[in-house]
Order: sequence, then C-alpha cells, then structure tokens
Amino acid sequence: MGKRDVQIFFLLFFWLGVFLFIMEGRGSAVNTPASRPLTRRSKSYGRSCVEAPSYFWQTPGHLTVLKVPTSRGAAKSQLITNKVDPEHIALLVKNEWKLSYVTPLHHFRHTQLKSYSRHLAAFIAAENQQGVAVEVGLEAGFKVTFTAVLGLAETDEDAETVFIQIQSKPAFAAAADAPKVVWRGWLTCVNGDPEYLRSLPSDFVSLPLFCTSGSESLTTLVKTWFERAFDCNFGSLALNSTTLNWLAALWTGCHPTCNIRHLKLAWSLPTQPPLDVSYTVNPQDAWELWNSIHPEESTDDKIDIKEVQSFINGLETHFFRHFKIYLSAGTLVKVSTALGSAHLDGKIKIGNSDYITTLLTLLTESALLKMPT
Amino acid sequence: MDAQVRSVLRRVIQRIPNKNIENLLKKWNCLSADQLCALDYTRPKWMIVEQVTSFCEENRLNLKHITNLEMIYHIENPDKGVWHACQLTEAQDDAVGVDLTQFKEQFKAHLHGVVRHISIKIKKHEDEAIWIRIAWGDNFSKPNHLKPTYVVHHLHTSYVFISNLMAKHKIFLSISVATKHGSIKDGHLSTRSLTAMRELLLRRYQQVTYPGSLSGSLQAKSNVYPCIGKEHSEHEEMRYQMSCEAFGHGPTPKLETAVYRLETRYRGNGNHTLSDREEFFRGVVRFSSSSLLDSLRHCVASGMAEGPVTPLLSAITQRGRNYFVITDKGPGVSSQASAQRA
Repeated sequence: MGKRDVQIFFLLFFWLGVFLFIMEGRGSAVNTPASRPLTRRSKSYGRSCVEAPSYFWQTPGHLTVLKVPTSRGAAKSQLITNKVDPEHIALLVKNEWKLSYVTPLHHFRHTQLKSYSRHLAAFIAAENQQGVAVEVGLEAGFKVTFTAVLGLAETDEDAETVFIQIQSKPAFAAAADAPKVVWRGWLTCVNGDPEYLRSLPSDFVSLPLFCTSGSESLTTLVKTWFERAFDCNFGSLALNSTTLNWLAALWTGCHPTCNIRHLKLAWSLPTQPPLDVSYTVNPQDAWELWNSIHPEESTDDKIDIKEVQSFINGLETHFFRHFKIYLSAGTLVKVSTALGSAHLDGKIKIGNSDYITTLLTLLTESALLKMPT
Repeated sequence: MDAQVRSVLRRVIQRIPNKNIENLLKKWNCLSADQLCALDYTRPKWMIVEQVTSFCEENRLNLKHITNLEMIYHIENPDKGVWHACQLTEAQDDAVGVDLTQFKEQFKAHLHGVVRHISIKIKKHEDEAIWIRIAWGDNFSKPNHLKPTYVVHHLHTSYVFISNLMAKHKIFLSISVATKHGSIKDGHLSTRSLTAMRELLLRRYQQVTYPGSLSGSLQAKSNVYPCIGKEHSEHEEMRYQMSCEAFGHGPTPKLETAVYRLETRYRGNGNHTLSDREEFFRGVVRFSSSSLLDSLRHCVASGMAEGPVTPLLSAITQRGRNYFVITDKGPGVSSQASAQRA
C-alpha cells in the first residue's frame, strides 16, 4: 500500500467518524444517505482538501451539534416598531400562519429581490398554463412582491427577513380595482444558533423558518420554485409540547408589562369520541402562580425548563383535584394569550408585536432542530 | 306574498337537503298533488326554491301557511339551533291540572297583554310536547318573522326548552309561561340537540343498570396478555362499574359541552406560597366532544380519570345541567369542591 492510499483510507475513516458523531449528537436514527436523491453538484462545500466520496452527503454546517436549550432568558418586551417599519409589522400580525422549516438557501441574495419577484411570477404563470391545479380560477396573472423586512434579525449572524406577497389580477377587473392579495409568506431567522450559522459556507443563507398563509396549491408552487432556484428542501414544522409549555410560561411572565387577558390551554384526550378540554386561567392568577415558581425579582434572568414544567404541572394538578382527570393522558394541543397563539399542528398567530422576538426565537430554534441532516 | 313571507319560505327550503324536502311538503299539505309531482329534486337548490315559491303564489298561500311550514320543519328537526332549558318552580296547587286549552288561552292572553305586536302559534305534538312559535314585534313595528323564538313545554313537567330568545324578550316570556308557577329559572343546560336535552332531563335514557360484566372491547384486550389481563380485570371491572353509575350504560344523550367556572383556592403542587393564598385561583374549564357523556364515560372506564367519579362530573347527569360555578364551601373543608347552583 502506498502513502497515498494510506492518506485516503485515513481521510475516509476521519469523515466516517465525523458523520457518526453528528448522528449521535442529533439523536436521530441514522439517515442512510443513499436514500436521498443525490444531487450532483460542481460546487464544493469548502473542504477542498478531500474529494468527498459520493455516498457521504452532507448539508453544509452540520459539523456543529445543535442542542435543545434547557434554559432561556425571559421574554423581553421591545417596542419593535423602533426597529421595524410598522407597516411591515402589520403584515405579520394579521393572519394565522402555517409553519415549515427550510434548509439553507444557496446563492440567495437580498439584493436580487426584484428579479426573484419576476421569476416567481413567471414560474406560477407557466405552471398555470401547464394545467397545474390552482384554485384561483379566472385569474389572468399574478403579481409577486419580495420585500426585505429589516430589523427583525437580532444577532449579526441572523439574515434579514424576507416577506413574499402574491396578488391576483382578475381577468375582468376594472382599472380601479385593487389587486387582491391571495397568498403571503415570509422567511425569517431570529436568534438562530450562532455556532451553526457561522459554520455555514459563505454562499449559503439560512432563513430556517417559513410561515405561509393562503391556498395550499400556491404554497406548494412557491416551495417548488425555491427548491429549484436555491437548492433547498422544505418540510412541515409541527411544534412539540415542550415549545408550547415554554410559550405558556414566557407569555404568562409578560403579564405585568402587557395584559395577556387570559392564559388558555387546550388538551385533547384520546377517548372515544375524543374529548377536548380547554382551561382558561385568569391572567393575574396565572401570573401569581408563575411568579411563585420563578420570582420576578430573582437576579437570575434565565428561566429553567424545570420551572416551566413545574408551572404546567401546577395547572394540571389543580385541574386534577377538581375533576380527577389526568391531563397528562392527553396532549397539550394549543396555547393562547393576547400575545398570540400556537397550535401543535404548526400554526401560529401573532397577537402583539411587542413580544414577537420571543416567539420567533423559539420557532427559529424549532425549525433548526427539525431540519434533517 | 310579500317580501318577508318569501324570505321565510326561502330560508326553510334552503336549510333542508333536497332529499328531505318532499316529505316536508307532503306533511305540510298545502301544495296540490300535481304541483308536488312537478317538483324535480335533482335540480339545484335555487331552482327548487323558485318553483316552490311560484306554487305558493299560485295557491295564494299567506304568512300563516308559511310559518306553519317552518314550524313543521323545526318539529321534524329538533336538533338545530341552540336550546336552553328552564325550570318552573313554586307550582301552585292547580298547576298539575292545567290542560292544553287552558294553557294556550292563558299563554296567549298574557303575551298579548304585554307586547303589542306579536304573533303566536301553538301546536301540540304526539309526544305530549307543546311547540310554541313566537315572532316578536314592539310598540311600533310588526312582528319579525325572520327571527322567531321557539318554546317547547311538556305540560305535566316543570321543564321549558327555549331557542333563539333575545335578552329583552326574556321577561315577557317568563311571565307568560309560568302562569301556574311562582317563577321560572335558568336550568343551566344548553345544547344543540333538543333530543339530548329532553332525554337527560326527562330521564328517558337508560341509567344505572350495570350489566354485571365487562363490555366486549375491554375483554378482548385482556385476552392478548392473559396474565396481565387477569391482574387488571378486577380494576377494569371496578372502573367500568363506576363509569356506568355516573354516566349510564348504553347510548347516552348527545351533549356536546360542559362548562365549569372555577372559583376555588389553588390546589396545585405542595410547596408553593400560592397554596396559602386566600384569594381564588380563577379559571374556566370547558369540556367538549361530539358526545360528551360517552367521552367522559370512556375516560373513567379506561383509567384516564380516577374513580370514584367526582361529583363535579356526575352532576351533569344527576342534576341535568352543563354549566356550573364551583366554589369552596368555606375554610377547613375537604379538598373536594362541591357543585352549587349559581
């Protein structure tokens, strides 16, 4: 065996070791790379020292291990309108958004938004002509607008949010008719894991959270266009009960500065037929309970997951003492306050823009964790 | 036929699925046989509405006939709309002996006495129920037939079921219905299904008779792991018995929701300063399901709820209500809060 062969074997084993390390860190079952369609690319991942064998497919940036945080800072109110254009904020606060995650976008440039608008509009028109089902019927065409929403990004590593709006131009509209908005979506990254973001090669932009509102068919078209243009992948982002628990605690903690009006938790119990239980707690009382677990005056600004669990347990136990029903036999499905609502299926509503950063931080984190390797 | 009458007619026809329209029109008996044959029920709904309207105009039908049709529709479909139960209390001595004619006369007399413009229609159904349709007007305007109130009363019971009653008319109705009683009060029971309400209050469903052995599905599960099954069968029997005691055995009335307003002291985990508070830990709990009592029964039988069934839940069937305000009786009482009338 020559020196060169030894080098190759060594490097192969090195990458094997790294690959397995990543798998363990993520805690997921080994995702056989062979099952993924191989996209032959001429772009390198920035590691020109090795010709990576074709059966090791790696998303850039996954040399870092993303951990689920067990503690986080309390929700801070910010007059977000100081940082972000109020008109942009109004766009986000209106609707119910369906969540997806998206892998990093290759060669996405915030300076090219106008050209992206034209391309996406042309793509939708072309798909329409091919007979891809779009429910909109008599529309003559679509107008697409990409806007950069500056100011939502928190850290230097966060990329700026991009907002996309699709308006329809009906076939027989009078000149004075305003075009109707039929679809909205936005890509964002708020307080994304800095190590992960720094490890991405320079030509990748990470905007892992994708929120959409509008018909499914248009959402699919937009995703397809993004996948083809920026070599990325989308997936649906369902929230888990830990995220919902965090939101319940964080939002309740905001009550002194911003009246949350109520803390409403909804569980679903697997009886036949299924039983929905909704518990709406008086906001002041909910805050008193939270304050007894994590006092406001405590010097430690960090909230631990154990405190959050204690809060939820307290509510479940109070419920149990009355009804003798174990809420833990069911699933927490929805949390809502005046600040917003979040549903297990991956649907959110933003009620109050002051605490939008807290919500988006949690969701960005969920999106990054959900992304496949 | 004026515009209002046409609106009422259109609304009735639009609500019914096409296949049921024929039966309703036959029962109504206001269209001739030829006209009934001429109707094509496979056509779109708006066409049928047009046809029926034109036949009614031909036959010179008026408001009375159309409201009759609406009433027949509601009697045949009692599970539409939201119904509230009320109870008559402090019966006078001659309350039991009231017969239908007396009731009708007194009711109409009272209402006409207090509201100037009002339209009342009373029908007796086979199952001893009296159906009353009221279209309310006021001192200046004619009765509004697009928003009628429906009242159902079983003569020799103390229950009255009401649908679509506005707050401002409540007092008038109360006086008129409670002719032989001292007062009428809120029964704290509301559902979409009048049938379920009547079953629950008039005790028309099968209650306690515990069959003495496990139902089929529970037994099948225990056959998969016989040893585990044996260990658990005693507990399962007990849980099943408790669930039947509280919620009956067999089909239950189809209630959809139960609401509890909690005003009790905090009873969460042990070591919080909150447990020593005097103030209440306020909240509202709402249970909902396509068939609430079935869900609750399964909850108890499967172990998701601990037995014995808490009085808060069994009060739904025992007291026939689904809205409760739960308060602590006072300091020093046991940790089980009790259900009280609001």
